[in-house]
Amino acid sequence: MAGTLHRLPTVTPARRLAWRAGAIAAALAITTLFLALSGRDPRLLADLVVRSAVGSRFGLEDLALFLTPLLLTGAAVTVTGRIGVWNIGAEGQFYAGAIGATAVGLFLPGPAWLVLPLMAACGIACGMGWILLPALARAYAGVNEIITTLLLNFVAGLLTTYLAVGPWHDRVTGALASTGRLPVRIPEIWGVVHWGFPIALAIVLALAWLTTRTRWGYQITIGGANDQAARYAGIPVRARILGAMLLSGGLAALAGMFEVAGTVHRLQGGLANNFGYFGIVVAVLARGSCLNVLPAALLMAFILDAGIVLQTQQLTASAVLAITGLVLFMIAIADELAHYRPVTVRRATTGAEARP
Amino acid sequence: MTDPRHAPADGPPPIAPGTPPILQLQGICKYFPGVIANQDVSLDVAPGEIHALLGENGAGKSTLMNVVTGIYQPDGGEIILDGYGQSFAAPQDAIRAGIGMVHQHFKLVPAFTVAENIHLGWRETPFRASAKTLESRTRALSERFGFSVRPDAVVADLSAGEQQRVEILRVLARQARLLILDEPTAVLTPAETRDLFRALRAFRARGNAVILISHKLDEVIDISDRISILRAGRHVGTWRTADCTAAGLATIMVGREIVRRDLRARAPGAAAIARDPGAAAPVLSLRGASCRDARGIETLRDVTLDVHGGEILGIAGVAGNGQRELTQVLTGMMPLSAGTVLLDGAPVPLADPAAFARAGIGHIPEDRLRSGLAPSLDITDNMALREYARPPIGRHGLYDRAAAARLAGTIVAAAEVRVPDLATPIRNLSGGNQQRLVARREIRIASRVLVAAYPSRGLDIGAIATVLRYLTDLRDQGVAVVLVSEDLEELLNVADRIGVLFHGRLMATIDAATADMETIGLLMGGRSAPNGPTSGGGHA
Amino acid sequence: MITRAPNGRLLASRRHLLGLAAGAAGGGLLRPPGLRAQGRLLPPVAEADALVAFGHTSPVTDGGWTMMHDQGVQAVRKAFPRLRTIYVESVPYSADATRIFRQFVAEGAQMVIATSNYGDFIRDVSDRAPDVAFVECDGHAVTGNLGWYYITHWYASYVIGIAAGLMTRTNKIGFVGSFPIPSVYAGTNAVLLGARSVNPAVTMQAISINAWFDPQAATQAGTALAENGCDFLCGIMDEPAYLRVAEQRGIKAAMWNTDMRRYGPEAYVSSVTLDFRDYYVEQVRARLAGTWRPEGHFLTLGHGVDRDPWGRTVPPEVAARADAMRARIMAGYNPFRGPIRDAAGRLRVTAGEVMDDARIYQWDWAVEGVTGLD
Repeated sequence: MAGTLHRLPTVTPARRLAWRAGAIAAALAITTLFLALSGRDPRLLADLVVRSAVGSRFGLEDLALFLTPLLLTGAAVTVTGRIGVWNIGAEGQFYAGAIGATAVGLFLPGPAWLVLPLMAACGIACGMGWILLPALARAYAGVNEIITTLLLNFVAGLLTTYLAVGPWHDRVTGALASTGRLPVRIPEIWGVVHWGFPIALAIVLALAWLTTRTRWGYQITIGGANDQAARYAGIPVRARILGAMLLSGGLAALAGMFEVAGTVHRLQGGLANNFGYFGIVVAVLARGSCLNVLPAALLMAFILDAGIVLQTQQLTASAVLAITGLVLFMIAIADELAHYRPVTVRRATTGAEARP
Repeated sequence: MTDPRHAPADGPPPIAPGTPPILQLQGICKYFPGVIANQDVSLDVAPGEIHALLGENGAGKSTLMNVVTGIYQPDGGEIILDGYGQSFAAPQDAIRAGIGMVHQHFKLVPAFTVAENIHLGWRETPFRASAKTLESRTRALSERFGFSVRPDAVVADLSAGEQQRVEILRVLARQARLLILDEPTAVLTPAETRDLFRALRAFRARGNAVILISHKLDEVIDISDRISILRAGRHVGTWRTADCTAAGLATIMVGREIVRRDLRARAPGAAAIARDPGAAAPVLSLRGASCRDARGIETLRDVTLDVHGGEILGIAGVAGNGQRELTQVLTGMMPLSAGTVLLDGAPVPLADPAAFARAGIGHIPEDRLRSGLAPSLDITDNMALREYARPPIGRHGLYDRAAAARLAGTIVAAAEVRVPDLATPIRNLSGGNQQRLVARREIRIASRVLVAAYPSRGLDIGAIATVLRYLTDLRDQGVAVVLVSEDLEELLNVADRIGVLFHGRLMATIDAATADMETIGLLMGGRSAPNGPTSGGGHA
Repeated sequence: MITRAPNGRLLASRRHLLGLAAGAAGGGLLRPPGLRAQGRLLPPVAEADALVAFGHTSPVTDGGWTMMHDQGVQAVRKAFPRLRTIYVESVPYSADATRIFRQFVAEGAQMVIATSNYGDFIRDVSDRAPDVAFVECDGHAVTGNLGWYYITHWYASYVIGIAAGLMTRTNKIGFVGSFPIPSVYAGTNAVLLGARSVNPAVTMQAISINAWFDPQAATQAGTALAENGCDFLCGIMDEPAYLRVAEQRGIKAAMWNTDMRRYGPEAYVSSVTLDFRDYYVEQVRARLAGTWRPEGHFLTLGHGVDRDPWGRTVPPEVAARADAMRARIMAGYNPFRGPIRDAAGRLRVTAGEVMDDARIYQWDWAVEGVTGLD
């Protein structure tokens, strides 16, 4: 035996970061290899991606537009993750938020300064309502939230489609399978980037503070790390689970409200664009830290944005999904490998030789 | 190198001269970052011997055994089995080579039956086996090795002693010739311990060997043939048990003289027991307290007791007779199904652990890692568990990390635990250090009562002495202490009164000064107290 | 974990969108879109510097709609060898569509052609890129730099309907449709009106399978229609499943998009064939020359849409009668004239009234004799 590995009990952030950087590099290398093998010029593509995604104003605007929902859904999944609960239903709560916001926007005429906050409030309430049942079932009956939140996604998606082509279908301008264009929109601050972006950033920062610097956050952290210890310390674990899940639903719903009022301006099927599911990816990358949601969402947004660029070079959307999966896969491996350190071992002499 | 050849009737079998040791370790080294876990450890285990491995917590016993069983690869040295050098790439290799380990924390599948657990991951398990086949095979194994188990029982329903028998049987069934037991008696009743030792002697009589890791010196002297001691990762020496005394071993182990002081004696100026007539009401009382578990079975029956400031109330009993429920009721973690809890004579309306903690009731829980700590979180967060909601850490709904770190530093200093960094996850500390930290944390808030459940379980002698000193110091400050323990000697040394639990009932509360082991033993067995402290049947 | 395709295409299908859009317009609130907007001309572009981008709703290998558009792209490449073209397949009906069109602009495209209706998603981009020409298939808006085009497929359907009316023995025609939307209404109505013009006893049974591409559902629908006595199947599908049903059962079928006779040579009658080549070449040429203007444009019979050459089992006299009508339409005749009653028997188009293309484009009711659509 020439060398062996041994497992480190803890990994320093720097070590983990280094491994993750390596993982992303490896994923890119594999992607490059496949692109080269399929007869494309990876350098040309890389150049195009960098120029389009971060080197052009349109690209940066799109990055911010991608970031806005990803920050919120990523934070939504992270918040529940801190108390040991997986909210797989951010997609559904996103739709619920969009539906709630659209209902106010379509049927409550008024000035934007009044209607927009009402849309947000109603959307958040709908998102919270959407997660309420799974949250109650999880907190009080121990029903696995992964299944319940996941299944409600399909209900929300289909409900959105039904509303968009059915009762709320656009009868005025006659366009598309969607509701009419909302009369109000979130004001834009930079190109197509609307106020939802800075608000989402601020919300994530606030959550980072909330989860690490407040009593509530501490209780959530303890409850997530060991619920027995939390009960031992008198922390109302059920109430905290309920609270964290409702907050999560509200965050995902706000993402839906931003998307419908800031980016799409109509309610339609497919509106969530998988932002809820990508929020899970962001949360996995963020490893339970709301502050980490910022770089994780940025990475995810960059991948999505790069995907748009690559699509114009005849790479299908599925290829982008595959690259996302590859990055995630490599990072998962890297996170595990970061625990190991190679050790060279003196070659063990056999017992027979050792004995006189 | 000693080689025990003496063979009393129940002792080791005669071994032919020249027989190589079953296991020989030569210069084993194992390093972790910044830690020397094992340095140049050489020892041998002969066939037909029970070899005890002693050492303080963190002395490197578990690491060494993990190397032997293939869980870790040694960084140096060699493992020689039956005279041939071996390297185990994986635990399965060690199992195939005849080395079986029973861990302190059992590695059984709780939802499976005994028979299923025995056959899990075993090459000899028939490919298509019905539950009946597995059970009959298990029954056969059980008879062959002399460990009685119920093959069809689900493991989750078994007592710790029964689970341990399953674990040992599982190892023996895989033809283990070297059995390694880590703290096997920690969770056993005296009777179960006797059964275990009987079985181990039978195992030895067939020419096999046992490595026994234990902290209980009396047990070690009772059962082992030779004793090896590790200190700070190094092998201090190996002695024939016949040549050893408990005091001598303890000295070698900790590297210093242990003084057994009379722990019941109050220091001058200590608070008196607030039990005299006319004194204030007892700090904490139970009146007819009963509670039921999830299945509706009464786990605590009609318990009435008083805890007074400045005394230590010991709670004795075989594990699983209501100790857990009693500590949980006394700390507000479990609601009563009948009866009342009185705090300073006033009934407590609601079981709320936070309120109990605020009232000055500290709690060292039975299983510190599972219920007293959040293993993945750092020392700071864990030390703040009791005080996060009060200034200086908790103000206006905030959590002041700097203040929490200061508190953690204070607790760490008081516990005399050396840690590299307060941001270290607490699971990286040794069990003894975890226990010290929990104890100090709870002592800080225990201005009225401290409920300590098995505070010395799994600790070495030095750590036990420290924790017991914590308790007596607290007592001397006028705090009431409830000490739940299975170590009767400890209770007799420390407690002022001893209550004995049996099947959830408080059999009696007796004065520790006049009580003796026999009386308590009888009470633990469900017999009512005999007339005099010395009467009653002897213990076998 | 990610259970759906990233583009979340629940309703991304082109003709569905088109249909719903026009369906809404059928309420009479939408005025026929302005066919020509005032606007400044965009400056000419040298061929070598030109980049034309296409956004498709499905893969170019779909064997139907997008494949026909892709042939148009190929024609552009051939006509302007030094010009660069890029395209994106499966552009979802979501905000990602906006991003893709923005990316086209970011990469320097002077002209963006969307081969399906993306409504606001393309409008949001075109409004912010006034120097880029946008053309949207099945669109409705015309702005300073955005126009639309569509095929008048109903004339080809009418011609095929004449053949159906002559060839059916049971006087029952089956129609495999996707959704009850204007394209499908125009398709069913045109076939039945054509059939009834030569055989007033004909009726039509339609089945909606809620998909443009679902061979299994289309097979089931075709089988069910045949079981009900239909001996002539038609529909609007992107694959030939019901043609195979017809082939097996010895009945006839007419298809859509392109020539599909190889999947059922005995049953094949004809197909509504699409051809965007000339239109795309002409649009690109205008853009290069600096003469492009945004407008709404219908591709007419013989110029972008037609019937496929008749199948080998179509009797010559049937082909001749149908082709006579084809020639009349190409000469300017409009067969969609009153009286036309809807399926409930209400008179919708009075005698002497002619339905122009703009009205047919928004057809949202079935004519008398069609069952299964409402």
